[in-house]
Amino acid sequence: MDTDNKDNPNPTILNASDLPTRQRDAHAAKRPSLFDALTQDAYPNYATTDLSSPEASDDSDSDSDPREEIDEQEIYDLISTISDPEHPTSLASLAVVNLPDIFITRPASSTSRLSTVKVLLTPTTAHCSLGTVIGLAVRVRLEQALPPRFRIDVQLKEGTHTTADAVNKQLADKERVAAAMENGTLVGVIRNMLATCE
Amino acid sequence: MSDIQQYLFEVDKNKSAAKDVAQNSARKLESKELKLINLITDLEPYINAKDDAARRSNSIGYLADVLDAVSPRVLSGQERRLLVDFILNRLESDTEGIGSSARALLALERLGKWDSTLAQRVLQTFVDHANPLKQFKLQSERYAILQLIDLLMAKYRTALQSLHDSDANLLPSFIALFEGEKDPRNLMIVFSVLQVPLAEWDVHAYAQDLFDAVFNYFPITFKPPPDDPYGITAQDLKDRLKGCIAASGECAPYAFPALLDKLDSTAMNTKRDVLHTIQACVVSYEPKTVNLYSVTLWDALKFEILAAQEEDLVNEALKALALIATAFSTGMDGPLTAYLRPIVKECNEHLEDAPTTQSRAAGRILHAVSSAAPVVADRIVKGILPTLFTLFKSSESIAKRRGLIEVLNEILKAYIDMHASGDALILEGLKSHSSDALEVMLRATVSAPKAEVSFRLASLNGLVQLTAIPKLLSDEEVERTVDAVTDMVLHEQTAGHGDIRTEAIAALTEMAHTVPDTVRNKAIPAMMVDLPDSPSDDTSYKSTLEALARLSTETEIFDTIVVRLKSRLSAARHHQAPTSYQHALLLALLYAFTYGSPLQEDGAVRSSYFGDYAEPLLALIKEAAPGSRDSAETEIVGRITNILLRSQTPHFQSTVYRTSLQRLVDEQRTKGESVQSLAPLSLHYFAALRPEVVEPTDVHNLLKTLGSLLLDGANSDASTSVLLRHITLLVNKFLTPKTMQASLQDAGLDVTPLLAANPTQQQIHISLAITKALILLGKTSALTSTYLHVLLDLLPAASTQTAQAFATLLAPDALLSKVNHCTVSPLHKQRTFALLTPSLLAALKTAEPSRKQPYLLALAGILQHIPYTVLQPSLLELVPSLLQVLDLPTSQSTVQDVKPPILAILEAALLHDPDTLSEHASSLITRLLTCASPPLKSKSSAPKAPNTTTVTTPGSQPPPSVNSPAVRAKALQCLTLLPTHLKREVVLPFRRQIIRKLVPSLDDSKRSVRTEAVKCRGAWMGMEEEAAE
Repeated sequence: MDTDNKDNPNPTILNASDLPTRQRDAHAAKRPSLFDALTQDAYPNYATTDLSSPEASDDSDSDSDPREEIDEQEIYDLISTISDPEHPTSLASLAVVNLPDIFITRPASSTSRLSTVKVLLTPTTAHCSLGTVIGLAVRVRLEQALPPRFRIDVQLKEGTHTTADAVNKQLADKERVAAAMENGTLVGVIRNMLATCE
Repeated sequence: MSDIQQYLFEVDKNKSAAKDVAQNSARKLESKELKLINLITDLEPYINAKDDAARRSNSIGYLADVLDAVSPRVLSGQERRLLVDFILNRLESDTEGIGSSARALLALERLGKWDSTLAQRVLQTFVDHANPLKQFKLQSERYAILQLIDLLMAKYRTALQSLHDSDANLLPSFIALFEGEKDPRNLMIVFSVLQVPLAEWDVHAYAQDLFDAVFNYFPITFKPPPDDPYGITAQDLKDRLKGCIAASGECAPYAFPALLDKLDSTAMNTKRDVLHTIQACVVSYEPKTVNLYSVTLWDALKFEILAAQEEDLVNEALKALALIATAFSTGMDGPLTAYLRPIVKECNEHLEDAPTTQSRAAGRILHAVSSAAPVVADRIVKGILPTLFTLFKSSESIAKRRGLIEVLNEILKAYIDMHASGDALILEGLKSHSSDALEVMLRATVSAPKAEVSFRLASLNGLVQLTAIPKLLSDEEVERTVDAVTDMVLHEQTAGHGDIRTEAIAALTEMAHTVPDTVRNKAIPAMMVDLPDSPSDDTSYKSTLEALARLSTETEIFDTIVVRLKSRLSAARHHQAPTSYQHALLLALLYAFTYGSPLQEDGAVRSSYFGDYAEPLLALIKEAAPGSRDSAETEIVGRITNILLRSQTPHFQSTVYRTSLQRLVDEQRTKGESVQSLAPLSLHYFAALRPEVVEPTDVHNLLKTLGSLLLDGANSDASTSVLLRHITLLVNKFLTPKTMQASLQDAGLDVTPLLAANPTQQQIHISLAITKALILLGKTSALTSTYLHVLLDLLPAASTQTAQAFATLLAPDALLSKVNHCTVSPLHKQRTFALLTPSLLAALKTAEPSRKQPYLLALAGILQHIPYTVLQPSLLELVPSLLQVLDLPTSQSTVQDVKPPILAILEAALLHDPDTLSEHASSLITRLLTCASPPLKSKSSAPKAPNTTTVTTPGSQPPPSVNSPAVRAKALQCLTLLPTHLKREVVLPFRRQIIRKLVPSLDDSKRSVRTEAVKCRGAWMGMEEEAAE
């Protein structure tokens, strides 16, 4: 881990305002209005006579709304803030993690609950020695943050890395991932990378 | 024993006794008991004691102490002269006691001014016979000499300068005198002494020696001892040293190379000192001297910016670059050209591979240097913009184009900064590119792909700047710009990523400040077109109206906007447009008056707005039949009235009260029905009035009417709330505290009888409203406490609704504020907390578990409005009840609403007083986990996948829960704090269990809850890693 001799000393860095963010639901009933602050009665009204008509009915955050499924953007938000091991910037602004390279496969049949998340990473250079570490960090992050009904598949994007196959094999091998996480130095590096995750 | 013998006897044992002896001698001299000649004669054997240096030194100390104590005019001029001669002559052969000699000379000078020759001789003697000072080991001796020299420099400056002029050998010895000084107090004087020859004498031949003498101390690394009695800081020394280095341009040939050499240091503090010193030198040396080093300086300073290390160093380097340009900005054309040439060349090179950190740095350099003076900016523009536009046109890369526009924006910003500080801009260079710039930016904002957010934002920002530079664009160009931005505001319909309407509105608002006429004549009419007289559907006008309302924050166009809104409102009424549209227009007006920038006079909103806006609206409401009044409209009009009326003078208000609103009040007095329909207006209207303006009888009658309306009538929930707030407002604001109970009885609103037997909901709510008014008033403590206890007595049999209504007592109400002339006691929350909590807690202790709910709800209602600092001292007693609140059943959603504020209190407690919660850790964790657990999914999705690691075996499933998402998220936030805020040994045992139980929350149906669950789980997982170390 020779940080003085970086693989790519001057990578392109994306502007933060160009990164994808969650789009508002197109069919969401209403956009918050500028005048809401004026119309909302800030004063609580306990003088209601009918208890069965809870105020929460118009609250967009109640459980009566349809379930918000875990989607690609949510996966992106989980891993985009991981820091690069050799630059003090996020994987998203280095374009290592890209929204179009995240795929969720829903359960194939009604009897299975198993979904798959596939994340393709784009290393900053084709011979970046830290590809494995980044892949491992993404994998660890998703394992911690996703419910167990998701299968996680992290790979280097085809054609972006000279040793992509070897790295992918390593990332897909549960035993080897587990073994890697026994390595104290590696755990330390990954913890530092994940420290910037919200 | 003579005085000198006595002095010598005391001096080594008791300094102050020795001083007394000397003072005694001085007194004797004054009273002529002792003659100076005798004193000297007495002194002679000791001062000449050949074998005893200490004795010689002490006897000269005696002389110094005597002279120090003697009053002016005791010694004649001749005597003083003789003494000076005596001391100086002595120094030539014996420097023992030299500090005392200096002190004696200082004392003599104080007794009478010297002539030039004498001053010269004093200096010469010290230079010749005390050189170098470091031979005297005692700091105090050197300090006295330095004080003497400092005095000579201050008072006999011309004499010393002429000495220097006549004697070329003086300066080198003078410089040598101070060599090797290390004491900070002495150095402070050395630096200030050396600054005189540097700044004023012709030092050409010895400039290097002088410079070396001071630069030896660079950089200052002095760190004062912790209890330094002298109060000298490193900064003091740095400032004096900087003053010396910057004092003479003669030093430039040595100073700049030496400083730049130190700039390569790895110590940030040294770099910082170098940059500050370079700035001082550039400012103080002659521009023609700076000229010789300008390019060298650029070559060194640029690295500090291009390879930025620390932000403040970058800023200091930029400042230094700008100061060099400033030095050449007045008539130094050649030097300016020579300085700017390499800067322009280098920055142009960095532009070629924009956007990089270096192109951004180039932008900062150009901004800093351009800001130096208009003439500099003009040169920069002529040097940079041709390249910039060539690069722009030859590249298709949007990222590159964005980088170039960002650099251009930096340069434009310099123009705006200079304009703001009052400089007359030179636009020659910029004008020849302004059309190019405008075209490029217009095209970017209008036709670039919507997803290129940063590119479009940079261009939008550039457009704002172009219009802000006066006389740069033609009127037609300004119009096109305003049109383009208006068009974005009106017609861009991008949802989510790529939506830059908010920024476009902000840009238009800024343009409204710099080019108000164009915005007034082009943008606002264009926006008004989008506001029809009667729209067909609800959504078409909404965003335009919001944009218009936001623009009202710019004073220049405020009046135009409200006039247009008003006329559109009357057109809408005329065409019987949908009420939702009319409400929206009214809300836009309200927004403008609330958050916009209406014109002011005498520190208040201009009073004519009331006549122009509030009165016509009020008239309309009054004219309408009570049955056809729309309560929402009545309320908005009431709020507009409130905001325009409340800050007006009592005189203005009472005119309004007596004339235009008289009928309103009359009407209220007579017809109950109309009171109800006017209540939303009346509430805000009475909130605006100053107490002294209103007739007490009006208040009494109104209270009576409101009370009976509430008690008899079946009102809708909304109108009940308005009527209750109205009662609170009137009681708090207009009733006299002394006669409070009588006034309330008179109005039929005394709380005790109201609640006497089986009170109805309405009676309870009125009682709470009145008690709330009294709590806020804070002047009727006996009555308040009686009322509160009557209310508490309701609790054992109270319904959920009644118990929750206790929250109204302290709930904030924006109307009950000082701007509305209400009385708001600063301690009302503390008092109420102190009065209610003990009773509630006591009742909770004894109550049956099944009867606890009303108490818990009431307690939660009170606590949620109490600042944490107030309840913190009682935290220990409160925690069990807080935890019980979390146990309240989840079946009623209104009951759930009390949980988030309670969780917020627990969160604050975890942050500030974790130890109090430690002993409750186990029960806290159980409750938080229960609150956090997500709703169970329907059974069909239940089958367990074989290879997942879930542990939700049927037996250990959490109890069914429908805690709201807000409760779940907040509970997870609290849980997140535990590992970092409670003691490790307290929480570690729960770690495994919690990480396991949080798994279902990772699959919560709400995204916001999932996010919190991820954070929470991360916090707990982080614990083990610490343990592994």
